[in-house]
Amino acid sequence: MEDSRQVDILQGTLNMMILRVLQQGEANGYEIAKAIGQRSEDLLQVEHGSLYPALRRLEAKGLVKQQWRVSATGRRARYYALTSAGKKQAVLEHSRWRTLVEAITRVMKPV
Amino acid sequence: MADDLPEELAFHLDELKQERLALGDTEAQADRFARITLGNRTSVHEAVHEIGPFYFLEIAARYVQIALRTLFRHRGAYLAAIGILALGIGMSVAMFSLVDAVLIRPLPFPGQELIRVIWKADPLAGPHVEELAYPELRDLQENITELEYAAVMPTSLYGYGQVLQMDGAKPVEIEAAPVSHDFFRVLGVSPAQGRNFASSDERVNAPPVVIVSDRVWRQQLGGNAKVVGRLIRLSGKGYTVIGVMAPGVEFPRGAGLWLPLGVESRIVERRGATFLQAIVRLKAAQSKAPQSGDRIARRVNELFKRLAADYPAFYSKSQHGVVTPLVEYWTGSARIHLWIMLGASLLLLIASTITCGILLLSRTLSRRHEINTRVALGASRGQILWQLAAEGTVIATIAAAGGLWIAEAAIRSLIRWAPPDIPRLPDATLNLHTFWFAAAAAAIAAVGCSVVPGWFAIRMHPESALREGGSRSSRSRRGAKTRNVFILAQAAVTVMLLAIAALLVLSYRSMMAANTGFANREALTMNLQLRSPEAIPVGGTDVEASRSFYTNLLGRLRQAPGVTSAAGVLIRPLEGTIGWDVPYEFEFETARSSNRALPKANYEVVTPHYFKTVGTPLLEGRDFDDHDLETGNAVAIIDQTLADHSPLGYRVHLGLGGWKKVIGVCSDARYRSITAKGIDIFVPYLQAAQPTNYLVIRGTRGAGELTALVRRSVAEIDSRQAIAGVATIGELIDGNAARHRFNMILLLWFGICAAILAASGVYSVVAETMVERRTEIAIKIALGCKRPGLIREIVSGTLGLVLTGEVLGLGGAAGAGSFFSDLLYGVSPHDPVILAFMGVCLFAVSFMAAFCPAWIAAGRYSSASLRVS
Repeated sequence: MEDSRQVDILQGTLNMMILRVLQQGEANGYEIAKAIGQRSEDLLQVEHGSLYPALRRLEAKGLVKQQWRVSATGRRARYYALTSAGKKQAVLEHSRWRTLVEAITRVMKPV
Repeated sequence: MADDLPEELAFHLDELKQERLALGDTEAQADRFARITLGNRTSVHEAVHEIGPFYFLEIAARYVQIALRTLFRHRGAYLAAIGILALGIGMSVAMFSLVDAVLIRPLPFPGQELIRVIWKADPLAGPHVEELAYPELRDLQENITELEYAAVMPTSLYGYGQVLQMDGAKPVEIEAAPVSHDFFRVLGVSPAQGRNFASSDERVNAPPVVIVSDRVWRQQLGGNAKVVGRLIRLSGKGYTVIGVMAPGVEFPRGAGLWLPLGVESRIVERRGATFLQAIVRLKAAQSKAPQSGDRIARRVNELFKRLAADYPAFYSKSQHGVVTPLVEYWTGSARIHLWIMLGASLLLLIASTITCGILLLSRTLSRRHEINTRVALGASRGQILWQLAAEGTVIATIAAAGGLWIAEAAIRSLIRWAPPDIPRLPDATLNLHTFWFAAAAAAIAAVGCSVVPGWFAIRMHPESALREGGSRSSRSRRGAKTRNVFILAQAAVTVMLLAIAALLVLSYRSMMAANTGFANREALTMNLQLRSPEAIPVGGTDVEASRSFYTNLLGRLRQAPGVTSAAGVLIRPLEGTIGWDVPYEFEFETARSSNRALPKANYEVVTPHYFKTVGTPLLEGRDFDDHDLETGNAVAIIDQTLADHSPLGYRVHLGLGGWKKVIGVCSDARYRSITAKGIDIFVPYLQAAQPTNYLVIRGTRGAGELTALVRRSVAEIDSRQAIAGVATIGELIDGNAARHRFNMILLLWFGICAAILAASGVYSVVAETMVERRTEIAIKIALGCKRPGLIREIVSGTLGLVLTGEVLGLGGAAGAGSFFSDLLYGVSPHDPVILAFMGVCLFAVSFMAAFCPAWIAAGRYSSASLRVS
């Protein structure tokens, strides 16, 4: 079994980022991975495979719903969208994150 | 949802590939990039799988599967462990189901915790129950405001039996309870058909009514739906059935009929007519008030003190009230006995868990190599512990199933052996309660015998353990420490059980050896109480009819061939704890008896030849004879204890019947219980107001022939009379010791089981040690170490532990002695000889268990085994 603490921390931010991406509208797994990469200007390298357990977990919590649809490239793909609970959660996590970042930035600023 | 995953991942992979192909990569390059970016697909699958709701069950199933495989591979060792655990669980479940049936399951009375039974005790007069009289019911009702309802009932149903005569059926005798009209309101029950008693039923000369029990209604009245309002004949008198009680209500125990009590002025008005006890229901608010029990007892006591002051002619000042919760009254001394037996069976369960733990520990230790390899390969300690717990759970589950099966059989035989005086015991079955108890016992056993030893095994440093486990060159110190604690604890528990069992065996022996005062064990006794009023001649009394009946019958019997002697008696010896208690005083004592706290004696009315028939020797003076007539000098015979301070020729005054001259002294006899010596006073039947109700007969013919002879002779005199309860004096004595014998057999069985378990524990520990130390032993032998010295070295450690455990256990047994002194007779619970002897016994067994494997091993490990290893 891998070290679980590290995974949890990663999962926390990964979930938040997935929710943020989905705030823009529905997307499939590939598009989400791409969006995270692009928005971070490729600073964040997410292993694409790790998205799927996170998506399943969000689905189990009722924050995300899914639907099979034909993609822009003409293939069948599983599309994810926020549920109403997921929308609320996305806003909440965003504001929490901002507070945390601000606080940490203040601590870390040069004396 | 995991089913979508392959397609979803394939799509993702494809998109990534397309992306690179568009940038001009070759097919192979694009494929490689896509695979790297997506990551390990198998671990994605696993991670998604773990989110599933049934993942936990799946893991548990996998653990169980591995456990089953391990168990099957080493089935020999595990089978022994399972068997031992099943025995422990089975016995404790069986005992628990008895406790459940008798003590835990609620009585059929709603709000039973509000019900109290009240009587009096008088320490100056002796250990008897002091009974209440009917007028005291009103005293209780008027003075104690906390009572919702109060009623009175006789302290014993003895003598209230009624003969029910249905048309075309044989007359049957049914236990009947005369009760005051609020009796069922106190119990909180009402008739299933018809109506409850009303105050109008309990007036002097009220029309006679009866409420019948559900059982009587079904068995004797044919379950007739229109029984209410019908007239039935009880002992020759017509009663209207006004109700059929709800099923299960048979209180006082055995009652099949209830009659209104206060229908005669001699009962209702006289304060001297004491034969009752009160049963009351507290107001519901009382149960919530703190120490309500104490307060009620105090109020009752104050009332009785006040009554003693108001009526000095009836009550002595030393009397005080006894208030008992219904449940305790109902179960009596069976309560403490059953709890003790349950405790003993739990000790056995602990002992079997320990033995099982020892067996599994040695398995765990021998699996150190496997476990540590798994730890080295990356298994977490938690996983290893879970695995061991799964094994323990599987073992305990199988053991619990086996235990329930053992319990089922044990309950059946326990019910068969059990003395009949424990209420509700035959109702004991396996039910949901016992199932939970078994589950709890199994869970504790599982943890105790697998996780605890596993914990110690794991805490060893994996690396060093790996080395150690590989070569088994030295002993694991921690494993050995655990084992030592186990051996110690087991010796303590076992010796405690054995000590209690030995004390019970010895007290049973001294009980059987006790001189009951009845030498003729083969003498036949039977109940022959005259019942139907038609037997009483016009103008005569009950007693006169009985006297002439007995005179007539005994005359016939004595002349019959094969009859040595025959006599009548008021209440035969050892007929439960019932009997007549009468206050007595000798004429030289009268001066000092200003208050009424006179000592009481067991009062017996006997015919001539009684002492000869039952085998109680007359030590001085003469037996009663046919000249001790009603009109003659009033005489009495006293027992030896009484004669020691009041010799022959003095006159004794009895609470029943005035002054009597002492004409004889018989040796002491035990009338109420074979373990308790009372004081007995006998009066001749022609001078007593009480009829003789039992016949005793002795002859050269067998019991069957004598019974037939009595039956024939009785029928010749009055065909409506019947004999009942035929038993020899020996059977009465055995019956009296039945409870004790039951306790003794149970504890002996527990003790022997525990001793076997202890021996197998010691055996497996020593055998295991020998295997572990075989290299060392072989070296020692090679260096010229002699066998006896070697064995001494090996077993001394284990036996030292056994000895230490024994000392602790015997200390515990001596300390707990006062708890079970109630079970003992003629032995002290602290008897050092018995305790030491049991210690020596267990030590001897343990010694043999340790010596055998050591002896065998010391012979086997030659230098050859050194070369092999």
